[in-house]
Amino acid sequence: MRIKSAVSRRSILKGAGVGAAAVAFPTVLVPRKTRAAVQITVRDPGGPFEKAFGEGLYKPFNEKYKGQCEVIGVAGKHEPTAQVKAMVDTKTYTWDAALLSMSAHDALPGYLEPLELKGTAYDELRAEYKTPTFSGNDVYCAVIGYRTDKVKKAPKSWADLWNVKDFPGRRSLRKYPFDTIEEALMADGVPTNKVYPCDFDRAFKSLDKIKKDVAVWWDQGAQASQMLKTNEVDMLPCWNGRIQAVIDDGAPVAMEWNQNIAGVEGWCILKGTPKAEWCRKFIAFAAEGKTQAGWVEHLTYGPTNPNAFKFIKPERARLVGTFPEYQTQALLIDNGFWGKEKDKAIDQFNAWMLKG
Amino acid sequence: MTTLNQMRAVHGDKVYKPRPGWHAGLPLVPVFIFLALFFFFPVIQLLSLSVQTKGELSGIHYLRLVESDVYVRSLLITLKVAFYTTLICVVAAYPLAYMLATASGQTRNSLILWVLMPFWTSFLVRTFAWLVLLGRHGPLNKYLIELGLLSEPLEFFNMLGTMIGMVHALMPLAVMTMLSVMETIDANLPKAAATLGARGGQAFWRIYFPLSLPGLAAGGLLVFITALGFFITPTILGGGRIMMIAQLIIEQVEQLLNWGFAGAIALLLLLTALVVFYLYDRLLGMSTLSGSGAADRSGAGLGSNPIGKAGVWIGGIFINAIGWVCDRFGELVEVVRPIRPDRPRKTMSRTVMWITGITILVFLSAPSFFVVPVSFTGGGFLEWPPQGFSTRWYDLVFESATWRAAGIRSFSVGVISALLAMAISVPAAFVLTRQRLKGRTLYMSLLLSPLIIPRILIAVALFYSYAYADRFLQIGLIGSSLGLVLGHAMLAVPYVVVTVMAVLKNYDYRLDQAAWSLGANKARTLWHITFPLIRAGLLAAFLFAFVTSFDELTIALFVSGGLATTLPKQMWDDALLKVSPGLAAASTLILIFVTSMIFLAEFLRRKAAKS
Repeated sequence: MRIKSAVSRRSILKGAGVGAAAVAFPTVLVPRKTRAAVQITVRDPGGPFEKAFGEGLYKPFNEKYKGQCEVIGVAGKHEPTAQVKAMVDTKTYTWDAALLSMSAHDALPGYLEPLELKGTAYDELRAEYKTPTFSGNDVYCAVIGYRTDKVKKAPKSWADLWNVKDFPGRRSLRKYPFDTIEEALMADGVPTNKVYPCDFDRAFKSLDKIKKDVAVWWDQGAQASQMLKTNEVDMLPCWNGRIQAVIDDGAPVAMEWNQNIAGVEGWCILKGTPKAEWCRKFIAFAAEGKTQAGWVEHLTYGPTNPNAFKFIKPERARLVGTFPEYQTQALLIDNGFWGKEKDKAIDQFNAWMLKG
Repeated sequence: MTTLNQMRAVHGDKVYKPRPGWHAGLPLVPVFIFLALFFFFPVIQLLSLSVQTKGELSGIHYLRLVESDVYVRSLLITLKVAFYTTLICVVAAYPLAYMLATASGQTRNSLILWVLMPFWTSFLVRTFAWLVLLGRHGPLNKYLIELGLLSEPLEFFNMLGTMIGMVHALMPLAVMTMLSVMETIDANLPKAAATLGARGGQAFWRIYFPLSLPGLAAGGLLVFITALGFFITPTILGGGRIMMIAQLIIEQVEQLLNWGFAGAIALLLLLTALVVFYLYDRLLGMSTLSGSGAADRSGAGLGSNPIGKAGVWIGGIFINAIGWVCDRFGELVEVVRPIRPDRPRKTMSRTVMWITGITILVFLSAPSFFVVPVSFTGGGFLEWPPQGFSTRWYDLVFESATWRAAGIRSFSVGVISALLAMAISVPAAFVLTRQRLKGRTLYMSLLLSPLIIPRILIAVALFYSYAYADRFLQIGLIGSSLGLVLGHAMLAVPYVVVTVMAVLKNYDYRLDQAAWSLGANKARTLWHITFPLIRAGLLAAFLFAFVTSFDELTIALFVSGGLATTLPKQMWDDALLKVSPGLAAASTLILIFVTSMIFLAEFLRRKAAKS
């Protein structure tokens, strides 16, 4: 019989030996740093945050509390609500604190520790950006990104994005009710202060008008920036940081801040973690304007502490969503509304998508 | 699966095999204990939430499933996508596998590397590579327009793109499963048929094809079930219009924290998949397609169920029809170009097969070859053509200790979890193939279920049981490589069981008996006779298990909590804002590494064979 495959049984056994050694390898070879008395592990979104927070937040904190406390950032799943719930339920604190979106925070009542941060920089944050268990850290905005080389007349509002006749070009929308429902309402003429509570019927009627002109429904943020970069579509709504990544790469792309939809991410402490006290110190530190200005150098999300702008270069300040001019044009996501209507919205949106 | 019946059919175990006693099922015990600990118990606990609301028994989640037609429609879309993916994979993989199986050893080994290409490119990179390749301004559209075949760019991001992405991702599974079965077919059998007067087509369809069926059936099953769980590839390449049920489940688990309802949808998926599996087993499991000697001998089993009967009937007609067509065609060719002893017989069919095979190989390896030049771009995105030349993305990957650690961990977790999965699943595959156990379909269904339950639910369930185990036994499974190994091994069990069963199906049991009669004990027979003969299947199983772990993201993200980084997790993190060419660079390095490992292994094997 002619069995000649590429790998032999023996080589697999050899490989296993190497593998077993390799599992032990990282722990053996990497010398342990001299550790601080307490270590807290905090979840961040990873990727570009790793560098921005590493330089602008974790490092200065660790220097300030040298020997006493060390914060370690780990990248976790996007919207890690299920993970936080599982950790608190089982009292397995892989993370002590986590950067969560306000909507993730709202989905976790009873799972987060009260912050009790009165008297710290927490007081300087805008009221919309904090709750007793949430200290706003950064603001991300859904804006219109478009190709300047393909779009003759730049879209200035959601109504323009919906207006296929006067603003020709291939479009993409987010395949998800959040943001998209709000965009549909504003496109239909609802002023920003009347968007909530959302009239779903009106929103879906508005979406009906554009459905056949949506070339692609995007699902992953990275997909949206990729499509703008390779000009798969000419305009789409996406978060400012991702569109900025395309602009920074030199693509002929611009974004429109008018009617931007602003969401906020903030620090939360997992309920019951034994290291809550140090987490509080960390979050108070993170709320300081100077700290926030530090990571804005690497990441174009908006600092929640207005004092941060004292330390940010003017041209950089124009790239972030909490820049005063953009903030007046913004629609701040009403998480209270979504908390109640999320189920219904997702069901209706999926049904609408499937409706041919 | 199909296997036991075929065994029974081919070797007529009634004749020489005693009915199994209670101990016959013993080799099933380890795999079931393992699955009980790391799959059944945790997952059933989680799924039991679906019949509760606020701690009380209630059917509210199931009512919701039928209140809106979203879930049933999405289930139908999922089944449709999985079905077409399977159909295309099987039809396209067969000629390729046949080509590989009949090629010379050297050629085959180098061609297999090409088949495996999609395995080594992370699903994320693969999907984004297709996003660029199939784009409106992508290379494919551009060349088609330049060639004058299209006037307008073709819109790929619908069912078409989804199919391309999914078939590409899953075809290696089908090819390798079929190949490992074809390797066990005695090449002399078609020749024997030819000496008895069968023309090429007849010999192939009546002899070779029925013998290769177990591979086709197993490959199809694995592709189908794996496809049911896909969501990122179909969502992105389908332009958002293909709504797979796995994504609805993820939304419920992560966005809405409604684990009860997620469990209800998952059970709907599981039950549907099991019904499909049952029908499949009845249809293909009992039939060997009439006309082959095996079917004639199996006799008794066939009449026992109407679906199986229908399968045999349809199969028989199919084979007869194809055989007839081949015969007439052959006669026609002989009229045009009579066979003469003074010139060689024209082998047109081989040419056709090679052209088909090479085309499919190009399709399988295209995204990998796209990734290599793209990784040297000076720009910040995956793009065609790449902008300028730079090694900056390699510098980034090389300089990062995280990437290195992730690479080492991914490889070692992959190898160890694959070995563990083999150790517990291979004995089970032997028993399920060779013993006439009662409830075999049930055992098979249970062994397949880790593939059907969405990974996110498995991840959540595993987290809870790991956390309790850590607390009460002080072991530290959360955030450790050990926890990953156990979880990944569990996911790999179905692949190993199905693949090994498929190769055992054609295995001639009498070879083992011959070894025993010559004085070898069971262990020696296994090691010196059985294993070497089914080596291709064992290797394919190992490979599938390794790749399952190597490309696994959900459990790695969830159970590790970000502490133990693997390659897919590192790539996922890196792709937060955009998929950077850094991922292409990492993929290229993995490709080079794996390929050179395979070459090295081959070199060592040949050296060992010589000495």
